[in-house]
Amino acid sequence: MKAVEVRDLTKRFGRFTAVDRVSFSVERGEILGFLGPNGAGKTTTIKMILGLLEPSGGRISILGLDVRRKRSDVKKKTGYMSQQFSLYPLLTAPENVEFFAGISGLRRSEIRARRAELEAELGCGLSRLLVRDLPPGIRQKTALFVSLVADPELIFLDEPTSGVDPLARRAFWSTIYGLRERGKTILVTTHNLDEAEYADRILVIHRGTIVLDGRPRALLEERGAASVEQLFREAIRGET
Amino acid sequence: MRLLYLVKKEMLEVVRQRELLVLLFVAPLIQIVILGYVITTDVRNIPVAVVDLEQGRVSRAVTERLVRSPLFRVRSVTFREEDAGERFRRGEVSAIIVFRDPAAKGRVPLTLPEVQVHLDGVDANSSQIAAGYFNGLIRDVLAREVKRAGAKMPLEARPLIRYNPRLRSINFMGPGIVALLLTILSMFITSFSFVREREQQTMDTLLLSRLRPLEIYAGKALPAVVVGLVDMILGVAVVIFWFGIPVRGNLLHLFPAALLYLAAILSYALIISTVVSNQQQALFFTWFSLVLFLLLGGFFTPLESIHARAPGLMVLTDINPFRYLIKIIREIFLKGNGPAFFWRDLAALAAIALTLTSLSLLNFKRFISR
Repeated sequence: MKAVEVRDLTKRFGRFTAVDRVSFSVERGEILGFLGPNGAGKTTTIKMILGLLEPSGGRISILGLDVRRKRSDVKKKTGYMSQQFSLYPLLTAPENVEFFAGISGLRRSEIRARRAELEAELGCGLSRLLVRDLPPGIRQKTALFVSLVADPELIFLDEPTSGVDPLARRAFWSTIYGLRERGKTILVTTHNLDEAEYADRILVIHRGTIVLDGRPRALLEERGAASVEQLFREAIRGET
Repeated sequence: MRLLYLVKKEMLEVVRQRELLVLLFVAPLIQIVILGYVITTDVRNIPVAVVDLEQGRVSRAVTERLVRSPLFRVRSVTFREEDAGERFRRGEVSAIIVFRDPAAKGRVPLTLPEVQVHLDGVDANSSQIAAGYFNGLIRDVLAREVKRAGAKMPLEARPLIRYNPRLRSINFMGPGIVALLLTILSMFITSFSFVREREQQTMDTLLLSRLRPLEIYAGKALPAVVVGLVDMILGVAVVIFWFGIPVRGNLLHLFPAALLYLAAILSYALIISTVVSNQQQALFFTWFSLVLFLLLGGFFTPLESIHARAPGLMVLTDINPFRYLIKIIREIFLKGNGPAFFWRDLAALAAIALTLTSLSLLNFKRFISR
């Protein structure tokens, strides 16, 4: 069973087609880098996969579950971290964890344990600060922690490293690899093309269609490109 | 249980915004006190010039009554109409009372002087009230004079004012202020709720959580209900203990009306929150709606005046929940009536609440699926 399976996914806004019959799949335990310039249809695709946007056509299944029909079951198996880290700025990081754990339906003892876990990781000082006063790296760490709070099988990370320093970025990817080792499937969208090499597989979307799909190393060798950035540019140019 | 975490989060967000806290609890208390003193139809200390051309016993009696009355402030007593007219034009006095000498006019001498009252009509409302005061005072003196002469007034009407015998404006305004408090805070909190989630980019996370849409909806409304009811209780306390407004009915009867009212206006505020793009727009829409609620709800002016002057607008007053709440609060406070007397208003509130909640839920469904 695939972690994600998308077939002929289409989204139209009036006469404009944002996503045009896109098909791809993600293996379980895979890290998929989802790339594309602004307005390419990346976010629209992710939102349809997550069930936040109704597709105009096509089929999506997550871990064998139809997203349209089994939305609440899908919710139990997925975690999501949005571009802006999606934390409540007027709550502390542990309070955010408590809130998201609480609305995820975790037991009280589990909620306390998750909260204590983050407090131990951040230390006393940072745990007391409101999220709005935390540095971006800590906010990113907390947001990732929150997206994992209900132990999902499939994790969607939307631009997770934007605005954070290289050290925090490296630490973030080491956490991602740790998750993969635990059998989690991760779908990451990113603008940092050098980061795309960390993914097991990359998928480039442009003007609503998939223009490149494959393992970074294999693609680089196959096309004789020096970097993922060059691959990306050539893929986009070919479509222009 | 999940809902409680959402309610707790909403409350924490309210408590952590110091400016909002001031807006929620301190500002309304200041408002209620200020509104209680400022919004009044009582007219006091009307500056008056007396022109006494008659210089008789009756004119002196009326002038004495004017001097003693807290309603008037006699600025001058003169024998020249021109002097008083000049002061009137300069705005130093807003009323002139002239006692003419009937004999000087060459008429058949009368027992009583001819009395003429000039009023400044720029402030039409105050002038009308002042005219009423003058008429009452002069009628009173007239009745005494007739009695003194051993005669009887052919017809005498003595109005018996019930429920607010001293005609205190605050007795009329106070219950309205309680309704106003209940409206302002709960509407503002709710109209910011979804738009703030969207601005913080947390709306998608909420929708992707295991919370059901109805739980999200309820989680946004419940904190405003709590804050609204707390503010209403504070308002009732101030109105009773600060302004000394009597409570003749059972205050517990306020709660069903308040809850139905909150269901109506919070549904309306939730619609605002889903259609606007940012919190500034939410603020503008809420403020605009609030002004309409007050103007068309009988807060400042009786609904009968709206009906008389602009009957077309009565449709808007009929669908205005504020109108029914304010009436119910006044019934409880001033008349001591219970639901048996205002069940029609409760039913109207329930119908509006049901309609707005249905519309709001439909709108919310559209909002989360777009």
